[in-house]
Amino acid sequence: MQYRDYYAILGVARDASEEQIKQAYRKLARKYHPDVSKESGAEEKFKEVAEAYQTLKDPQKRAAYDQLGTHRAGEDFRPSPDWQKQWEWQGDDSGFAEQIDLSDLFAHLGAAGARGGAQRPMRGRDFEVAVPITIEEAYEGTQIDLDLNMPEYDERGRLRRVPQAFRARIPKGATQGQRLRLPGKGGRGFNGGSNGDLYLDISLRPHALYRPSGHDLYLDLPLAPWEAVLGTTAEVPTPGGRVRLKVPSGTAAGQQLRLPRRGLPKPQGGSGDLYAIVQIVVPAVTDERERALYQQLAEASTFDPRVQLAQESGHAH
Amino acid sequence: MRIELNEVLWVEEQILSFDELAESSGLPPRLLAELVQGGGIQPLPDQAGSRYGASALAAARHARQLQEDFELDASALLLVLGLCDRVAELEASLRELQARLPRWSRAG
Repeated sequence: MQYRDYYAILGVARDASEEQIKQAYRKLARKYHPDVSKESGAEEKFKEVAEAYQTLKDPQKRAAYDQLGTHRAGEDFRPSPDWQKQWEWQGDDSGFAEQIDLSDLFAHLGAAGARGGAQRPMRGRDFEVAVPITIEEAYEGTQIDLDLNMPEYDERGRLRRVPQAFRARIPKGATQGQRLRLPGKGGRGFNGGSNGDLYLDISLRPHALYRPSGHDLYLDLPLAPWEAVLGTTAEVPTPGGRVRLKVPSGTAAGQQLRLPRRGLPKPQGGSGDLYAIVQIVVPAVTDERERALYQQLAEASTFDPRVQLAQESGHAH
Repeated sequence: MRIELNEVLWVEEQILSFDELAESSGLPPRLLAELVQGGGIQPLPDQAGSRYGASALAAARHARQLQEDFELDASALLLVLGLCDRVAELEASLRELQARLPRWSRAG
């Protein structure tokens, strides 16, 4: 198994007091706890910090950890037979190094390791896994493959990591924040307890065109000034294929044109809507003829786009 | 390794008893009862107060995690759960508003 330096993770000396360890943990938790930080990698970092703290805050676990000796972080090692005997670790040689995680060595020790004596049925743990999918996958439904390393107790009460592969069908209608459940696919139960569940937390990957809000989708629809004034028919992409959208004459920038039921399907049936948000875009380069036409338009038009500004400033003074 | 195809279930359709909620979340029943009493975990409205749905389970699991991470008591858990709910609501409405904003007018 790989050695992790719990003291270095918490940034404390090996002879740090309980109080120093607690303070270091609080500081790091404040920075990396997933409820506080949305930084990428923060959750992983917090798990590391929490694991270090869970071991070092408990005098018995800390003593057991200290007696493993010092190794380089990431170094492959295994506890000596003496260590295993002293800390009642029932190790065996079959695949020991690969299947055991450092934290598993201390799970049966200290106040939290009460599992040992309990004979009553215990339900297996639930696990959660983040599943990012694309908007197209949410629209069509999809299949995903998950490779998970699940902690599991064997019949002798030892904790091991067991690789598990799942293929799950994600039904259409799953959207941002949706949770799906795979019953019985979590941790194994003990003493006749039922297995835990595996939860899939769905998130939608950012898309070049669509922005989801629930089951509705938003899309920018760029129009030329004359299209907005005169009206037009624009071809608009939707997850179900391209559709023709009638843009009425006199359409203003920011206006939302609704395409009913062209959004994401809903699990109970029906679909969200797709909204095309009008953008009025101007050409970066205009040739002489175009400029002349605009000039003519400017002279012919009596339209004052800033009537309201003129009135507002009149009130202010 | 054999891979089987698993059908997933919508979490919204899950209904749990108090005991199942305690077991699934890993919260000690006494602490769970305190959180229910304090309104941090709410039973389904139309089930005579004894059945719990997906959001109660999510809140209970969150509470278990917080308790494990920070050794919080019921009052502190109720406060943190309340604040996290507020943050989640604000984030959801922010996401909705951002979806409605034209891409070109948004900073970043």
